[in-house]
Amino acid sequence: MKTIPFIDKKNVNAMKKRALLQLIAFGFLLVPIGCNKDWLEVKPQGELTSANFFQTEDHAIWATNAVYSLLRDWNVHAFNYLGMTDMVSDDADKGSLVNDAIFLADLDNFTLDAGHQSPAGIWQGYYQAIYRANVAIENIPLVPEMNETLRSRLQGECKFLRAYYYFNMVRWFGDLPLVIRPLKPSEFYTQTRATQQEVYAQIIQDLKDAIASLPEKSQYAPADLGRATKGAARGMLSKVYLTIQDFPNAELYALEVINSGQYGLYPSYAKIFQSEGEHSSESVFEVSCVALDIGGGGSQYNQVQGVRGTPNLGWGFNLPSDNLMTAYETGDPRRAATVLEVGEVLPDGSAIVEDNPEMLNERYNQKAWVPNHVGFQENSPGNIRLLRYADVLLIAAEALNENGKPQDALVYLNQIRARAKGSSANPNLLPPVTVTDKDQLRQRIWRERRVELAMEQHRWFDLVRQGRAADALQAAGKLNFVRGKHELFPVPQAEIDLSGGLLTQNPGY
Amino acid sequence: MANRIHLRLAATLLFLALGCSAFAQFTVKGVVLDEAHDPLIGVNILVKNSTNGTVTDLDGKFELTLPNPYVTLVFTYVGYSPQEVAVQGKENMEVTLSEGSQLLNEVVVIGYGTQRKSDLTGSVSSIKSEELQKVATSSVTQALQGKIAGVQVTASSGRPGDGAVVRVRGVGTFNGAAPIYVVDGVILDNMDFLNPNDIESVEVLKDASAAAIYGTRGANGVILVTTKKGQKRASTQFSLNSYVGMQQVAKTIELANATEYATLANEAAMNIGTPKPFADPEALGEGTDWQKVVFRDAAIRNYNLSANGGNEKMLFNLSADIFQQQGVVRSSYFNRYTFRANNEYSLTQHIKIGHNVVYQFTDNNNEPGGILFTSYTADPTVPARDTAGNFGNTSNRSNVSNPAAQLEYNDYNRGYAQQFIGNVYGNVYILKNLTFRSTFNFSVGNSRGKSFTPEFYVNDKQFNPESILGVTLNRARDWQWENTLNYEKSWENHRFTVLGGVTSQQRYFENFGGSRRRLVGDAEEFYFLNAGDSETQTNFNGAAEEKYYSYLFRLNYVFKDRYLLTASMRRDGSSKFGSERRFGNFSSVALAWRIIEEPFLKSQNVFSNLKMRLSWGILGNDKIPYTAAIPTVTSNLNAVFGVAENLLFGATPTRLANPRLQWEETSTIDVGLDIGVLKNKLTLEIDYYLRKTDQIILPVPIPDYVGSEGDPYVNAADIENKGLELTLNWRERLGKFSYNLGLIGSINDNKVLSLGSDNNEALIGGSVSGGAFATRSEIGQPIGAFFGYKVAGIYQNEADLVNFPTRGGEKPGDLRFVDTNDDGIISTDDRVYLGSPIPNLVYGFNGGFEVAGIDFSIDFAGVKGNKIYNEKKMARFFGVTNFETSFLDRWNGEGTSDAEPRVTNGGYPNYAVSERFLEDGSFLRLRSLTLGYTLPNSLVEKVKITNFRLYVSATNLITWSDFSGYSPEVTSENAIDNGIDRGVYPISRVFTVGINANF
Repeated sequence: MKTIPFIDKKNVNAMKKRALLQLIAFGFLLVPIGCNKDWLEVKPQGELTSANFFQTEDHAIWATNAVYSLLRDWNVHAFNYLGMTDMVSDDADKGSLVNDAIFLADLDNFTLDAGHQSPAGIWQGYYQAIYRANVAIENIPLVPEMNETLRSRLQGECKFLRAYYYFNMVRWFGDLPLVIRPLKPSEFYTQTRATQQEVYAQIIQDLKDAIASLPEKSQYAPADLGRATKGAARGMLSKVYLTIQDFPNAELYALEVINSGQYGLYPSYAKIFQSEGEHSSESVFEVSCVALDIGGGGSQYNQVQGVRGTPNLGWGFNLPSDNLMTAYETGDPRRAATVLEVGEVLPDGSAIVEDNPEMLNERYNQKAWVPNHVGFQENSPGNIRLLRYADVLLIAAEALNENGKPQDALVYLNQIRARAKGSSANPNLLPPVTVTDKDQLRQRIWRERRVELAMEQHRWFDLVRQGRAADALQAAGKLNFVRGKHELFPVPQAEIDLSGGLLTQNPGY
Repeated sequence: MANRIHLRLAATLLFLALGCSAFAQFTVKGVVLDEAHDPLIGVNILVKNSTNGTVTDLDGKFELTLPNPYVTLVFTYVGYSPQEVAVQGKENMEVTLSEGSQLLNEVVVIGYGTQRKSDLTGSVSSIKSEELQKVATSSVTQALQGKIAGVQVTASSGRPGDGAVVRVRGVGTFNGAAPIYVVDGVILDNMDFLNPNDIESVEVLKDASAAAIYGTRGANGVILVTTKKGQKRASTQFSLNSYVGMQQVAKTIELANATEYATLANEAAMNIGTPKPFADPEALGEGTDWQKVVFRDAAIRNYNLSANGGNEKMLFNLSADIFQQQGVVRSSYFNRYTFRANNEYSLTQHIKIGHNVVYQFTDNNNEPGGILFTSYTADPTVPARDTAGNFGNTSNRSNVSNPAAQLEYNDYNRGYAQQFIGNVYGNVYILKNLTFRSTFNFSVGNSRGKSFTPEFYVNDKQFNPESILGVTLNRARDWQWENTLNYEKSWENHRFTVLGGVTSQQRYFENFGGSRRRLVGDAEEFYFLNAGDSETQTNFNGAAEEKYYSYLFRLNYVFKDRYLLTASMRRDGSSKFGSERRFGNFSSVALAWRIIEEPFLKSQNVFSNLKMRLSWGILGNDKIPYTAAIPTVTSNLNAVFGVAENLLFGATPTRLANPRLQWEETSTIDVGLDIGVLKNKLTLEIDYYLRKTDQIILPVPIPDYVGSEGDPYVNAADIENKGLELTLNWRERLGKFSYNLGLIGSINDNKVLSLGSDNNEALIGGSVSGGAFATRSEIGQPIGAFFGYKVAGIYQNEADLVNFPTRGGEKPGDLRFVDTNDDGIISTDDRVYLGSPIPNLVYGFNGGFEVAGIDFSIDFAGVKGNKIYNEKKMARFFGVTNFETSFLDRWNGEGTSDAEPRVTNGGYPNYAVSERFLEDGSFLRLRSLTLGYTLPNSLVEKVKITNFRLYVSATNLITWSDFSGYSPEVTSENAIDNGIDRGVYPISRVFTVGINANF
């Protein structure tokens, strides 16, 4: 047993003090021990950061997929998109209830101003998509180690998508800030509008790069169906050239698609737009959408155009116009395949379209109609057909006619008509076109484009590129249309304000 | 060491035992009187440093047996100065307690310590527990309404369990502008978990001097809460506090009945050019009152039992509390069960340890989502259920769901939560004047949410094709470790207090959730994910973490009790900011002059207190979005590929981050004057403040062509708040009658000084129906001010459309806007400021009296000068929804109205953002009214009850307001989305009866 040492009071106090001081030192010091330099360094939980991204092949694939993902976005391919393509054209009316989304009526009636939300929404959505493409195009070359073929293909895909996004933008707005890499903060407010020619030059360059690095549709693995292909890039490029009226190049690239052996017209026109027609032989580029139980794979493209109320629960926007109804030749089966009338049986035979007394001119875009599906309506599974082989054939026909080759043009034009006619034995139904006069044939090709591609968001761009938007739309009763103004949409006023006036406005706004 | 403590304990006990036998017992009798020589009942008397004691009886008399005749007695009584009297062998004593002087020696809680109120240099407001208990609510923050000058409290809603939006001295930032809450030293973002019965006092630190010790988190004010602690008592005091009550919607919205609706709908159809939907409106009669379908009278109850006591070695306060509240909207409720233990143990003469901990669990159910909007918009011509018992179809002419069916199918929205919050501390008294304190604070909690919707079909717009279950689990963990040293020294005319410390903190939050559809059954026992189809499963899981590391320092110096100085500094490091801007220093200095102590005021007896205060300091705010400084990669930007249409993972950076972000800085100047007159019967506090916040973090708009999804955050804006606060109290005792009157008021002027860049004209906010925005924060204007067209009248006829400016497309009967820029046309350039959601006057007043056991109190609260935007009235985008009765005053022919336009359902100009939807938000509310009666002791003491009070009370009895909605309290934590009524859960009127008993 230990003996208790003699304790004097002084000694106890000293010991006590020492013990307390030790305790305090412990309290004060332990905190700083935890506080080495890294203590305040907190990593985002469960999130990659720019610092550790673009390190692997997977990262490159993910970044590319993210560029595709916006093809299903609200701002890119839904409400505003339909408003600024079909509704502004003579193909379609706003639809839905009179007061529902009344701002879209401003597009239909050309009462929009520079503060209108649709051009602003489009501008935002497309530039966000372009940003994602720019990030991928700039960083994929820097990924340390990856399959070089894949590296090249992914860059080609992103360039194709960037070209597609810019192509729509330049057609809507004309001159544009041409952003082809992520901007530095010092450049945020300094951009000016590049001329249309400069924008088109970039689009053409991107598409040529894409043609060089992308495989043909048949060369992709089945699991990659839906990715941009060499044929898609060629087809898009032919359309770009047609738009800028470079008809020799339009012909060249359209024929490359036609002669690639990758595509053919689908036998049934109506079924192209149904689920069996997804990625059919006729599909040059389309946006894959799927209604999964867990959501996340659909778009709202079908929902906003779906039959309002019973039985389809869509929103009932973008209704085929009276004007479009008169554009078809008598008996053209494409009319019935394009328009879903009140009282008509739905394409899947599940029900008939009930009359909705609150709606004017009630008839729906059958091409955007999808059957009931899992998940909710915003989970629409219908693929968005952006470039059909029929479109490429008509581009070829138009370019060939312009290039003085009417006989060659007629071949492709009549392929379209023959497929539309189907198995009908009626000799008066959609007979082959034989006219070879350049002007007359041009009119026949334009008319064929309208009905073949009706309600597929091409009409507006065609009217503008053909230089007859004012005539056609005023004739269709859109008397507010001002020639020389309304061919382009206004640059969003907020963008002009933010640029401090560096961005100019389109004429008339 | 342990051996030694045992020895000391043994020695002490032995000495005490000897002491007991050395003296004979001694009995003292006496009476306790107030200054008017009236007896004081229930005065607590304790032998100093013991638990031996008693209380005075109805005549103020007491009798106490003492261990020896030379002890000292301590007399304490609420509202009076405590007094120590040495017995010195006297058998009879007369003790006079004085009131008033206590006010000066009253101790208030300040950050990391306490201070004599008379020594305060900063602006600190304090309120006691009783004030918080006058209002029947689960929310302590709601109970603060109208109580403190400079503090605006607006109930978030009347939903059971909801809190309030609190702003101290105006809105200082575009980001989180809420104060921080410090409960017994634990820094928290919320105090609504507190049970009001547990609270001793609430102190609000308003100026920089008071709040500077909280550095980077103090810029928007600090609310300190002190919970009840144990007291040395002769015997344990048990308290039972309970009330039961009934709540009702004080005011319903005036909506069209079926006939009126049909008439207006027909007229709207005529105006638009569609067929009339109703052949004979008159035949429809009253129709359905959907508000009656949704609202109910609802019960509220509270039971609280506590035990308080202590001795030399231990002090304790234990409490258990049950709070149960039904909501006035059917299916909603909130229940809360709270257990608290605030104990302190004296281990040795030099060491005390203690804990203040609360464990709590809650369960609640929320009303069906959007039901307050559907009950406002639903078609009144449709019955809740038809004669066959099926739910009526309210979606014929709109997308509005049948609220009765929502109550049937969408009513399962459960929440469960438990929290464990508090601290464990140790105080070491090193030297006489030097104290070391180490505190470990913690707040851990988890919550669980469950919502279930069965498969149902009411009509083709109100249906759910598959049953669906959603489950969430959240986990939060927060610890703070604080170590401080406090040194006090006084000699002659000098008094010093110095505080220094080191603190660290870590906060962690994790959420987890999932959903499945197609459950195997609809009964509650199936509300688990396993019962759903795994094909339909979704899930999510994420987390966030923050760390802080800080040094703090404060000096208080008092010279001659007259000249006071406080200086403080905190150096804060926060993980929220980029490595370049991680640490910041926040400091303040304050001076005060107690003029009353000057010799030249000694001879007068009018003033009992006179003090001037002056303070300046800089504080920070770090409530910014978590990853604003870190460029994260957004996941799940998926794309569909392949024959099988597979969803493939995508990810990319989509948003620009700013690694150079730093905290916002608020500098405040405060000048204050405290006056007490006639022995502090009248007290007055006046403060003027100028509060300027710089470097406010906000998303600075960059052009969309940059492509960022969300604008990057930049330290950019400046906001100024200046104002005046006044607190006036009068207390007087006239014999057995005592009464008090009080008034608080604050005026505030809020102004945006800068938005950071030349390109940034204004910050747009307040999204309203039709894609428009109702607020605009522009330089020189208040934050979040309303912006739109001014209404000049109505175009009465075609001539008006020619004679007055138009935009084009207007028709007779449409609103005519003011051409503010006189350019002859109406355009967006004619929009102007229409008012602010921030009141410029916030006030409250109260009164009360006590006589012969009866107590009465009345409290009013009000605001003035703010506007509310009635967004729900403009939201007619969904078809022909129901109308407020104000539509009945419509224009329907020349000269019929010059204010309410013809009936249309949307579009310019009638539904553009304009004065039409702006209403006055001023209100005055009779906040609480209480009448109590304390039974005479002679009645209750036989059953060993020391105090028994019965009371009746009403909360929100009357509200004077011109606002058409349920309640003029319409608020948001988001400063640029404030004051917009989109259909808020009504705040109810509550009647309660209750008891307070001590035994």
